[in-house]
Parts: sequence; C-alpha cells; structure tokens
Amino acid sequence: MPVAASAIYFLNLRGDVLINRLYRDDVGGNMVDAFRMHIMQTKELGTCPVRQIGGCSFFYMRISNVYIVIVVSSNANVACAFKFVVEAVALFKSYFGGAFDEDAIRNNFVLIYELLDEIMDFGYPQNLSPEILKLYITQEGVRSPFSSKSSDKPVPNATLQVTGAVGWRREGLVYKKNEVFLDIVESVNLLMSSKGSVLRCDVTGKILMKCFLSGMPDLKLGLNDKIGLEKESQLKSRPAKSGKTIELDDVTFHQCVNLTRFNSEKTVSFVPPDGEFELMKYRITEGVNLPFRVLPTIKELGRTRMEVNVKVKSVFGAKMFALGVVIKIPVPKQTAKTSFQVTSGRAKYQASIDCLVWKIRKFPGQTEPTLSAEVELISTMAEKKSWTRPPIQMEFQVPMFTASGLRVRFLKVWEKSGYNTVEWVRYITKAGSYEIRC
Amino acid sequence: MAPPAQSQRSQSPSQPSGKSEVSDLKLQLRQLAGSRAPGVDDSKRELFKKVISYMTIGIDVSSLFGEMVMCSATSDIVLKKMCYLYVGNYAKVNPDLALLTINFLQRDCHDQDPMIRGLALRSLCSLRVANLVEYLVGPLGSGLKDSNSYVRMVAVIGVLKLYHISASTCVDADFPSTLKHLMLNDSDTQVVANCLSALQEIWSAEASTSEEASREREALISKLVIYYLLNRIKEFSEWAQCLVLELVTKYVPSESSEIFDIMNLLEDRLQHANGAVVLATVKVFLQLTLSMTDVHQQVYERIKAPLLTLVSSGSPEQSYAVLSHLHLLVMRAPYVFSSDYKHFYCQYNEPSYVKRLKLEMLTAVANESNTYEIVTELCEYAANVDIPIARESIRAVGKIALQQYDVNAIVDRLLQFLEMEKDYVTAEALVLVKDLLRKYPQWSHDCIAVVGNISSKNVQEPKAKAALIWMLGEYSQDMQDAPYILESLVENWDEEHSAEVRLHLLTAVMKCFFKRPPETQSALGAALAAGVADFHQDVHDRALFYYRILRYNVSVAERVVNPPKQAVSVFADTQSSEIKDRIFDEFNSLSVLYQKPSYMFTDKEHRGPLEFADEIGNLSIGEATDNVVSSQRVEENDKDLLLTTAEKEETRAGHSQQASFGIDDLLGLGMPAVPNVPSPPQLKLNTKAALDPSTFQQKWRQLPIALSQELLLSPQAVAALTAPQALLRHMQSHSIHCIASGGQSPNFKFFFFAQKYEESSNYLVECIINTSSGKAQVKIKAEDQSTSQAFSTLFESALSKFGTP
Repeated sequence: MPVAASAIYFLNLRGDVLINRLYRDDVGGNMVDAFRMHIMQTKELGTCPVRQIGGCSFFYMRISNVYIVIVVSSNANVACAFKFVVEAVALFKSYFGGAFDEDAIRNNFVLIYELLDEIMDFGYPQNLSPEILKLYITQEGVRSPFSSKSSDKPVPNATLQVTGAVGWRREGLVYKKNEVFLDIVESVNLLMSSKGSVLRCDVTGKILMKCFLSGMPDLKLGLNDKIGLEKESQLKSRPAKSGKTIELDDVTFHQCVNLTRFNSEKTVSFVPPDGEFELMKYRITEGVNLPFRVLPTIKELGRTRMEVNVKVKSVFGAKMFALGVVIKIPVPKQTAKTSFQVTSGRAKYQASIDCLVWKIRKFPGQTEPTLSAEVELISTMAEKKSWTRPPIQMEFQVPMFTASGLRVRFLKVWEKSGYNTVEWVRYITKAGSYEIRC
Repeated sequence: MAPPAQSQRSQSPSQPSGKSEVSDLKLQLRQLAGSRAPGVDDSKRELFKKVISYMTIGIDVSSLFGEMVMCSATSDIVLKKMCYLYVGNYAKVNPDLALLTINFLQRDCHDQDPMIRGLALRSLCSLRVANLVEYLVGPLGSGLKDSNSYVRMVAVIGVLKLYHISASTCVDADFPSTLKHLMLNDSDTQVVANCLSALQEIWSAEASTSEEASREREALISKLVIYYLLNRIKEFSEWAQCLVLELVTKYVPSESSEIFDIMNLLEDRLQHANGAVVLATVKVFLQLTLSMTDVHQQVYERIKAPLLTLVSSGSPEQSYAVLSHLHLLVMRAPYVFSSDYKHFYCQYNEPSYVKRLKLEMLTAVANESNTYEIVTELCEYAANVDIPIARESIRAVGKIALQQYDVNAIVDRLLQFLEMEKDYVTAEALVLVKDLLRKYPQWSHDCIAVVGNISSKNVQEPKAKAALIWMLGEYSQDMQDAPYILESLVENWDEEHSAEVRLHLLTAVMKCFFKRPPETQSALGAALAAGVADFHQDVHDRALFYYRILRYNVSVAERVVNPPKQAVSVFADTQSSEIKDRIFDEFNSLSVLYQKPSYMFTDKEHRGPLEFADEIGNLSIGEATDNVVSSQRVEENDKDLLLTTAEKEETRAGHSQQASFGIDDLLGLGMPAVPNVPSPPQLKLNTKAALDPSTFQQKWRQLPIALSQELLLSPQAVAALTAPQALLRHMQSHSIHCIASGGQSPNFKFFFFAQKYEESSNYLVECIINTSSGKAQVKIKAEDQSTSQAFSTLFESALSKFGTP
C-alpha cells in the first residue's frame, strides 16, 4: 500500500502541537511525544528525515517554521508520503494566499482540519487538487455547492468533479480578458574547481504557467528542443531550420499534459488548470551557457594575513543584466579586520557566516568587476588548525536569459468559442548551487 | 478572525490546565444550545473553534461532550464538521456518550445534500466504538449504493474502518464482495482506488484464516483485474496510480509479449511530475523484467534519466527518498551508472544524509575510466568541515583502492592524508593503509616509510591505533624503531583502555620478537606479564596461549603466530545477497531507506535490539549487520547468565566439540584428545539431559544433601576460570549441564545437573568456586542415593580436568 499514514502532526519549532490528526488507531496517541523526545530534542534533528522509533516510522519535513510529521506503522512508500506533504502544503498555501507558517496555521486551523479530512481518509490520500477542493471547501466555509437554495449560481456538474476524471479544471469558467503567462525558470548548478575547470554542471528548469482562460481551451506549446524539432521536420518532410536546438536530458509533465501525444508527436498539448501551475520540469547537462565565471586568487600571507582577489565575469549579452548578484567568499573564523576595494557594488564582512559578502544590485553583461580584499587574522596560540576553504557561493537572477538556451517557439490556444488570447512569455535564470572552489 | 489559540499561547502547553476555561465554555455552549436567535451560528462557531483549539493542544475537553452534541443540531456545514471532528476524537473514551451522536449522524446520512451525507457517514465510521457497529451497517450499505460518487468514496473507506473495529460484522454483511463489485464497475476512479485499498487490507488480514479470502487476494492480481485497472490508469489520481502500479508489480504475466505491452502502456508514466508515480513505474519495469536479463539491462538505461531528474528536483527529503532507491540500483548494477558519476558529487550545503549516500554511490561506480576524477573529488571532501563526512570520504577512497587494480595514484593520496596532520584524517588513513597492505603487500615499502614517521602519541582512536600497531608488528624488520615504539606502548599498558589495541599489541610484540629477538625480548616479557594479568578474558587468554606456546617450542610458535601470509584477495561482503534481493523486492518502500527488509523493522521480535540503535535510517550496510550480530551475541550471553534450558547449551557444546576434533585432526599436532566420554564404567550419564529451571528448583528444595565436600582446584583451572562460560562448556563435555550460573571474579556460583543414562534419575549440584583461594564448595543431591558417591567421583574428575588442555 502506498501510504497508510496513521497520523499527521504539525508542530512549531518549540515542539508545540499546532494540528494533530489521527487517522488510524494502530499508533498510540503519544507519538508526538516520541517525536519530540527522540528527534526534536536530540542532535538527530536534521540528520535524517526518516526515523524509526519503536514500531513506528516518522517522516518529517520542516517548512518555514513548522515541522510536518507523518507517522506510519507499516512498510510505507516514502516517496509518496513526502510528495503528499509537499502537495498538501501547496494546497494550504493556495488557501491562505501564499504564506505557510505557524501564524497562518493558527489563524486557519479549522480550515486545515477540514482539508485534512478531505485529502486523506483512513491514511489513504484522496483528492488534493486545489481546483476541485475549492469548489466545496471555501474559506468562508458556509456554503455547500450541492445545496441549491443557498448558492446563487449553480455550479454545473460539480459532483462529478469532486472526484471526477478531469480533476484539474472545472467547466464554465469565464474571463473578460483571456490571458496566458508563461515563465521559463531555470536554475544553474555548478561546481568548479579552483583551476577553473567545470567539475559538474547542470540546469534544472521548469515552465510555470498562469492561465486566465474561458471555457475548456486546448493549448499547444512548441519549444526549440531537439526531439520536438526533429519530429516536426520529419512530419512536414522538410529540413529543420537552422539555429540552436536543445537536447533535454529528461522531462516530466504536469498531469494535464497528454503524454501519449507527447510520445507520438513530441508536442506538448494540454488542457490547463485554471490559475497557476507547473507545466513541466526538465534537466540539461550538455551545452550549458554559464552566465558567470569566477576567478578567485586567495593567498595566505603568513599566519595573520590573507589577500583575496576575486574577478567575476558576466558572459551573457551586453544588453542584458543580472539582478541581485551576491558573491559569498569564505574567510577563516579568526578574521579580525578586513578592508576592501571593489570596482562595482558593495562588500562587507559578515562574521556570522564567516564570509565576505559582495553584493551587486545590477550587473550588466560582458563586464568583469573585481574585488580585492585584505584580511587580517587573529594569531592564535593554539595548535594551528588548517583552514578548510569552503567554496565561494554565488546567487543571481538573469532575466531574459536561459542557461540551457531553451526558447518558446509558439504557444497556441484553441477554444471552441474562438476568442483571442494574449500570451506573455518570460525567461529567467537563477543560481541553484553555484559553487567555485578556491 | 482572531487567532483562537492566542489566549493559550502565553501558557505553557506542557501543562494542560484550563479547568476554568472549560467550565466556562460549558456554560456558554449550554446557553446557545437551544437558541434560535439570528447570528447564533456565528457565536457557536467561535465557541467550537475554542474547543477544537484546546483539544489540539492537549487540554481534555471531553467533559463538554453532551453540550457539543446538543449544539450540533445545525444546518451550518462548518459547525457540523467541527462537531464531527470533536466527536471522532472523544467517542472512543466516552462510548456511552457516543451513543448520543448516533442519532444525528444517522439523520445526516439521509440528508439531501450529498456533501452532508458523505461527511456524516465518514464521522459515523470514525467513532471507533465497538458496541456501535450495529448502527454502521445500514448507513454503509446505502452509502455504497448512493448515486453520488463522493458518498460512495467515503462509504468504501468506511467499510475498511468497520473492518478494523469489528471484522466479523464487516464480513457478515458481505461488504467485501460489494466492494469487489464496485471496484470492477464504478465509473468514478477514486471509488475504484479506495475499493482496491480496502480490499487489499481486508483480504490480506483475512487470508491467514480463510482460504476463500486468500483466493480473493490472488484474484486481485489476476489478468482480468490488472488489465481493467491498467486500461484506466490515466483517469486515476496520481495517488491512486501509485496504488495500481504497486499492484501491477505483483502480477505475473503469462508470456513475454504481455510484459512489453504493459511496459509500453506505462512508459509515459516515467514522465509524470509526481516522483512517487515515477518510482512506482520503475518498480513495475524492474519486477516485470527480472527474468529477462537483456531487457532488464535496458530498463536500467531507461529509468536512469527520470531518477536523476527526481534527485535534483524537489525538497531534500524528497530527493533523499529517491536517492535511496537510486543507491540501491547503483549497488546492484554499478556499471550502468559509471558514466553518470558526476551526478553523485556532493554539494557543499547538502544535508549529510544525502552526502553519505552519494559517497557510497561514488565508491560503487568507480571503474578504470573514472577513478582518477572520483578520487580527486573525494579527496576534496576529506577537508570537509563536517567531520563524519570527511571520514566517510577517506574510507570511500580506501574502498575504491581495494576494488581497483591500478592503485598507484590512490596510494599516494592516502599517504598525503597521513601527512595532513588532522587527527581524524590520520586515523582513518591508517586503517585504510593497513587494509591496503593486506591486499597489496607490494606497496609496503612506500607505505612503511610514511607510517614510520607517525608518532603513536598522536593516534588515539582504538581502530587506528590497532592498525598502526599491526603494521609495526607485521613490518618490524623494515621499521627501524619498531621494537622501541612497541616497548613504549607496552610500558603504557595500563593506560590503554581498548582491549582490541591490547590484543594487537600482544601479537605485534610477538611478531617483532621473531624478527628481532634481542631488541624485543624485554618488551615481550613485559607484554606477556601484563597480558596474563589483564582483566579482559580475550587478552588474558591470548597472553597465556602465547606464553605456553613459546615455552613449548619457539619455532612452532613462530610458525603459528607469524607464518607467511597470503594477500587477501576479496574482503567479504557484509550483507548477504538474499537480504539484498529481499530489499529489492520491496522497492519503493521504507525497506530501501532503512537498507533492511521489512520483517526486520516491522516484526516485533526483530525489532527489539534496534529500538536502541541510534543511527537507524542512516546505518551503513556494514554497521547494520554488525548491530544485529552483536545484539544476538549479547542476548546469548544474557541467556547464559540467566536460567536457561539445557538445550541451547547443549547444541553449542556439541558444536564446539566437533569443531575442536576437526582442528585436532587438521593440525595433527599430537595433542592429547579431549576425553569426551570420561565416565567410569559404573556410571553413565545422559549426554542429552534436559531439565527445566522450575523443576530444578523444586527438586533442590525437596531432596536432602547427599554429599558435601571441598575440592581444591589446580592453578590452571583457576587461570582458565575468568568467566563462568568457560567452565560451563567444559562440564558440558562431561555431560554435566549447567542450569544457572553467576558471580564475578573471584567468586562464582554454579548450579549443575546430570541425568543417569537411560534413566530419569537426576543429580543436582551446587558448586561455589573462589578463584583467589582456589577452592570449590560442592553440594550434591541425588534422586538415586545409592549412586551419589559414584557421581561425586565423576564430578570431581571432570572438574579436575578443567584448565588442562
């Protein structure tokens, strides 16, 4: 059985119970004490998200300042349980309007109990789709969609949708202005050696959509990925257009995408859910355009002085720029005094994380600002502890740039009423874990 | 809406007081109960919220039960839900009051609104009160036939709940077959999925007692059901898909074309955004193709990319769950993943449970083409801030060295570790160098030069110290200072807490003595003297053994202690392949994360010792088995000390006897054989005597003392008696069995018994031994008084042989 969760708890960081929901009797009521005693109050916290205590296994996740704990007594499916938690949190967020934290839970605990009843029954996951749940569990909670006397406009066929087949969209949506927003969000993961060679590099991307469309529209998305293009040229029996094509290592889709059609025709076609959702995720390891190169030189001059020189090169187009660039350069714990010179942005020493933090708010393409710093160390009489030199870490966002080179070629919307739609497409590349050893 | 728990927040949640608040609430609820004033629902809601929030933080509000039920007559659905929640929580402890709620719940089960019907039915089944089951059958029956799928969905799970409260009621009402019908015919997929969950649980539980149920359980994985479900798979919710896919893994296709059909049908599931669906699909693919080697191989290639994607996306917890599965696959087929090693590089900020798995995978996938990169990367981690991870990565380098042919570069790296001057790095590296030398003695020259420079004072960890001492002994001819380092270690014998180190020290000094006798002689003498006086039995025994064998013949001693060694070719794998296969069969479950089959953590008898293991969940394979073994050992020792039935002892003694004979024959050293049937002709004892402790006690009380005497023990016997077990085994070989023993040096107390051969006449013995005086007080009681003298002689002779080879 995938998950037969026996209980689910929400705790704050102190270990107070915010929500508890026992689904089955096969675990005692004091499970939360066991969790507090054996996990929260020990060093174990954070060492492993799955722990066995007595006959029960605990799966826990921290989300902002809340721990969500699932207790099972059987050999459960872990991936399913964690995914359930993630989906449940997404659901709560869509109800609370964004935030999910201790206060939000305290303010909405009745609603959460209601939802917990619906999304899981006797430990088995049921319907978690916000679209459908919002039909009959409303923030006000007064009305049931079924009682015709209290609802002003009848919701057509709602009963079918509570459990129905097209779980992600309800019929009869009407918008004055039909709009589609599509964001390609990529995060670049990099591990570079101190000599500048790339040890590991990949891009994980996702396509986020926001749809405000009337009726039951059919959407078709074309990308410049290799398989799709080849298939297309094959179908139209003409050579593929020149230009860059992207090879996606792996793709996963939202459940609305017709996977059979993707496999046969290599086009992404779907009936979108209303509002915001993640259409697809992909991964690329070959031919990644790194937006930044970092060239560090760190010299330890004797036992009390260090010289740090870091040059950061932006290698994207000169007309583009990166935002919110933060470069964290680690220094030893016993740093006493620092002095900087930067050609752009601002830098300071943050003792709490033992780093020189260099921030550049707006970073144009094809430039290479530098930082040079002198670091004075307290000379310690204790045995010399050699410094482990953690990697330099970098954060950034580059709008209108994709590290993979992925582009939307077309986005077609078709609905039987034939309305016009406005499509908005954005690209952004963020730093995932962007690490440079030094 | 004000935060309802606000008032509570200032209070300490650990002390659920709030007595006055509860009685206050009670009063307010009572006032509202009968009121029909407008806006009364809003004030009720506020009150209910307070009640629920108290309930959540653990204040007992069960005293409000009556009032809550009175207030529940309302059309407000939110109020109803809160009331249902409350009732569900407290009905179990207030079965009488729960009866009050039946009425309104049953009425709600017939509401015109399907939502209310469903909710009421769900709450009715959640009361979990055994004496109310009679009220469940009716509403459940009509719920299963309801025109609305929401109600049916709830009713199906309701049946399962009923089954857990009262299995017989559920089966008698013939609900399982109704569910089966629904599963195969309902238009709503969530109803179908719930039927499947419920039936799986019910029939698995019933299967042990009813044959029909086990047939039904088999029928769930029949072609008919499987195909019916598979053809609708896309209509199911993602969770239900997991359920169906899990069922499919149990299906055995009749021909290979079926396998391909199923895989083609499910291939697109690998692209599903829900990681759980992907893992479930992977399991189907792996299980279906187990018998087809080439296809199985292709499956690995196919599932690689989706799994790697899952690992790199989602929260650390999710990726950990997937990574554990990937880890399992990597361990099974490392070569498939050897080109993907870069995916297993650790990121600086990753949690250590992820890093640990990645390190193991890096070790597994290393081959000729990528070793250099992997080892370079691992060496980076050796300087990691996280010390456990740094240690793991050094061990990983060592493991790679042990599985590779070209170890040239690796040896250099290891030697660099030794020079890093970090205690833990040096310690780990020493252990590795030792293992490396055992496998590749040809590297001794390079290694010894570096090892010789390490001061033994800087090595504190027992394992590392033992490794260093082993090398000093093994390579004492190449290390100038070896005898002197060993000598200084022997001088500090008393400060060495680890028995392992002392054992190694004894052996190392012996080996060194054979190679460089004049320099080591004094150290050897000191070591043997200290060893014989050691309180640890193994150290003591070994020292004594060395002493005797040296006295017997020095050249024999050398042949025994320090013969030329063969290089170890393969270090034994710690986990049996049977266990690995079992874990593989339980793919996509906790077993994979715990790295042990489910029976080990769900069955009570296996779980026992593990409850105390601190590192559950991140035990490495080796540690896991170690733990199990050691806990067994502890258990056995405990049993020896406590009262035990003779059988266990006997089997072991029989075993060891055989073993010792085997060794005698094998070595042919001409030692006097252990006289295993020493009984004088006039009295023969039963070798397989059995007596349970309570009978022993009873007889001991009843019988008079036949004989009482004081025996003198030989010095050898005293020396051999470091622990009671030694004597037990010895006496057993004389068919005198121990039923209880205890005590610590110098006082030991034993109760023995023996049985006359082919007669059920027992002899009972109490024997108190004081090792410092070397005396044994023996009291014998016999059922057959006439033979008590004969038995006494027998006992005496048996005891006198103790300690002599």
